[in-house]
Amino acid sequence: MRIPFFSMFMTSPFEGLQEHAEKVKECAWAFQQAIECHLADKCQTFEEFREEVIRLESEADAIKRRIRGHLPKGTLMPVYNFLLFRYLREQDAVIDAVEDALDWISFRSEPGIPPELEKEFVALADAVIDPIEELSKMVAEARKYFRNYSEDQRVIIKNIIRTLRRQEHEADKAEDIVKQKVLNMNIDAVTVFHMVRLAEIIGSIADHAENAGDMMRAMVAR
Amino acid sequence: MTQPYIILILGYIFGFYMAWNIGANDVANSMASSVGAKAITIRQAIFLAGILNILGAVFIGSHVTNTIRKGIVSTDIMTDPHVALIGALSALLAAALWVSFATWKSLPVSTTHSIVGAMIGFGIMAGGFDVINWGKLFAVVLSWIISPLFSIVIAFIIFKIIVRLILSKKDNFTQALKLSPFFIGITFFVVILSFLFKTPLGKRLALGSQAALTVAVLLSVLLGFAATALLKRYVKDRESGAEAIFQRIQVGTACYVALAQGANDVANAIGPLAVIYFLVKTGSVGAKVPVPVFLLFFGGIGIACGIAMAGHRVMKTMGEKITTLSNTRGFSVEFAAATTVLVASKMGLPVSTTHAAVGGVLGVGFARGMEAVNFGIVFKIMVYWILTVPAAALTSMIIFKILQFIF
Repeated sequence: MRIPFFSMFMTSPFEGLQEHAEKVKECAWAFQQAIECHLADKCQTFEEFREEVIRLESEADAIKRRIRGHLPKGTLMPVYNFLLFRYLREQDAVIDAVEDALDWISFRSEPGIPPELEKEFVALADAVIDPIEELSKMVAEARKYFRNYSEDQRVIIKNIIRTLRRQEHEADKAEDIVKQKVLNMNIDAVTVFHMVRLAEIIGSIADHAENAGDMMRAMVAR
Repeated sequence: MTQPYIILILGYIFGFYMAWNIGANDVANSMASSVGAKAITIRQAIFLAGILNILGAVFIGSHVTNTIRKGIVSTDIMTDPHVALIGALSALLAAALWVSFATWKSLPVSTTHSIVGAMIGFGIMAGGFDVINWGKLFAVVLSWIISPLFSIVIAFIIFKIIVRLILSKKDNFTQALKLSPFFIGITFFVVILSFLFKTPLGKRLALGSQAALTVAVLLSVLLGFAATALLKRYVKDRESGAEAIFQRIQVGTACYVALAQGANDVANAIGPLAVIYFLVKTGSVGAKVPVPVFLLFFGGIGIACGIAMAGHRVMKTMGEKITTLSNTRGFSVEFAAATTVLVASKMGLPVSTTHAAVGGVLGVGFARGMEAVNFGIVFKIMVYWILTVPAAALTSMIIFKILQFIF
């Protein structure tokens, strides 16, 4: 407070946003490993990966609370704070959905995913990995944009958002394939419900990533 | 030793101490954006700020000071030399004390406000409330509100222009180079104008407003293009784009702020000292006293010492803390701050450099140039800005009574 010039500068919420995006990215890897393990015959490490995701989720939560709690009224930023919060909510929803998916699997780990559906689930899981990883890149590019306000930079971000939209569409298709197949299989109703719901949860990961992209689009609007 | 000489020596000590404080605390205003944006190193900043504060103080600093800053207090109380002597000393002491207290308690206060408050305190003690020119005081307080606003507006416009005309363009390096005569030119324009209007040298040239304007325009156009030619020659870093150009221009604006600061703030420290000096030498004092060049130099040296001794710590903090300032932002902040200070001192308003610098940062913040700037802190800062005046006044009153008792 002694030197007013300093006291005006505060920790940038974008730093937190970036940190949060990195956590989300980290959990993509753990998620993929967990799914692959679960599909393998003798999985020993599923719980470990799930624990890892739970840990990452709680860390991401802490970052989210830190950002929200340290943005006093009257903070001047390159974007409206409500946009920032809504972006953060979507980015956080991604990691929540990842955790939900693994939880949902763990509620009924036996008999697990029927062998006939393995290929489709691998395709679905793969389809949602890319959008998760795209987020941290998007935040990093956005920070660059808010620094240099260059049109080229804006185009880079818009391309990432476009990619996210396309990837969400791919993930949707993969989700539909799983659901269609499950509903036409001759298996018990509990498994059907478990599988349909699982496909929906995994699909929602890409939905939230796309929503985050849309929020970002609003943030870089001129 | 006779009593007046003791007072004069005390005046020197506290005048120097005030100047030291200005240097130690306000160096952030001139050099923070440049060091934060990595346009210059800490060593360079200290060196530049020191030299330019001395230059500003000696060459642009007012050579005639109103005995009581800007006529807030009626000069009737100055008729008794003894009272005037004690009054000037107690004002200086009170301001110094208040600034020390603020440093100790980490409060953001302005040396300008402290000295204005202290002078009011002495005025009230010596002549009652009647001697205070409330209208004048109101104008001064108003200027404290207007000057940051003015700075906000300038910084906002400059940064918006930079974004619109340079940053958002495809090849912003070339674009920055193309427009640099404009940015360098307007900087020179303000400096030259203030030089022509404010300095003894400028007054000796005795140019009319029209002639001065013409000279300033011509010179700044010339210098703008000359500087651009130099930039073209030496800046080859196309990769960093416009920032590379502004990195060089920013060195210039940082100097500009340091110069304005020296010119504007030196009176805070040596204004009362000049009164004491004049009284001791001549035995009487009028509404205005001439400030000998050596006193201005003395004040400049005091500021430079403050910068050299405490500046390093301050600069280190800013290098670490202010990472979101890029060169274009730094330029906008500095340009706004220096212009505000020079315009205000031209109008005879005792504004604080701190106000102007804070306004500059907020202006860029409003223009969405920073990742996060806390606007709310301004209200907190304002409370102290306003509290400073009565607090310094009260301290000054008490010290005046004590000194009157002693001498």
